[in-house]
Amino acid sequence: MPERTVTVACKVGLHARPAAVFVKKAKELPVPVTVAKDGGRPVNAKSMLAVMSLDVRGGERVTLAAADGEGAAAAVDELAELLETDLDG
Amino acid sequence: MDISISSPLTGTAIGLAQVPDPVFAGSMVGPGAAVDPERAPQVAVAPIAGRLVKLKPHAFVVQSEDGRGVLVHLGIDTVNLDGEGFELIAVEGDVLHAGQPIVTWNPALVEAGGLSPVSPVIALDAESAAIDAIVNGAVAAGDELFHWR
Repeated sequence: MPERTVTVACKVGLHARPAAVFVKKAKELPVPVTVAKDGGRPVNAKSMLAVMSLDVRGGERVTLAAADGEGAAAAVDELAELLETDLDG
Repeated sequence: MDISISSPLTGTAIGLAQVPDPVFAGSMVGPGAAVDPERAPQVAVAPIAGRLVKLKPHAFVVQSEDGRGVLVHLGIDTVNLDGEGFELIAVEGDVLHAGQPIVTWNPALVEAGGLSPVSPVIALDAESAAIDAIVNGAVAAGDELFHWR
């Protein structure tokens, strides 16, 4: 199961606008993807409700994980790159 | 089940397309409506009955018993105010009835600070087709704003 831990670049974290960009991207991916805070329970990266409730702050580390399948590693990489970009910049 | 989403604010109900933020206006956060609030101190109330799963000074999410989440975002780019001018009444995790007070704020102050107080009310993870009966025009907090099928 491909996994990657990244630091969230957006200063304000995954609030409404960056969360929308992140979830939109996640929904386009061909495999189920989860996102978790350090040591926390993974939540569905394709759900706005789940991602907004996770309340990720800027500078926090999150772990992305995709279910095994074609495109899984690429899916994790794409989302990781997105989180490492300042979406509010 | 059809649920009725009430206006969290008193003001003028407008379409999401009129929100001065392309991400909300383009329904990227989700479908819904927006309220251009009366420019006076007021209390934002729960748009549905449910648990207050997320509470920030400038935004909150209430989740119904059947799992649907409604986001209320008080003004645009108000995350940058760091809570200044917002006074929390409810506590994250509270179980609320529709219309219960959550946060006090002053749209006039937000506007004076150069930000738009227009407040999107969003059906999270909903398809656009699941939303109808969207109200336009004058609303009071607690009045029906739209239906979510």
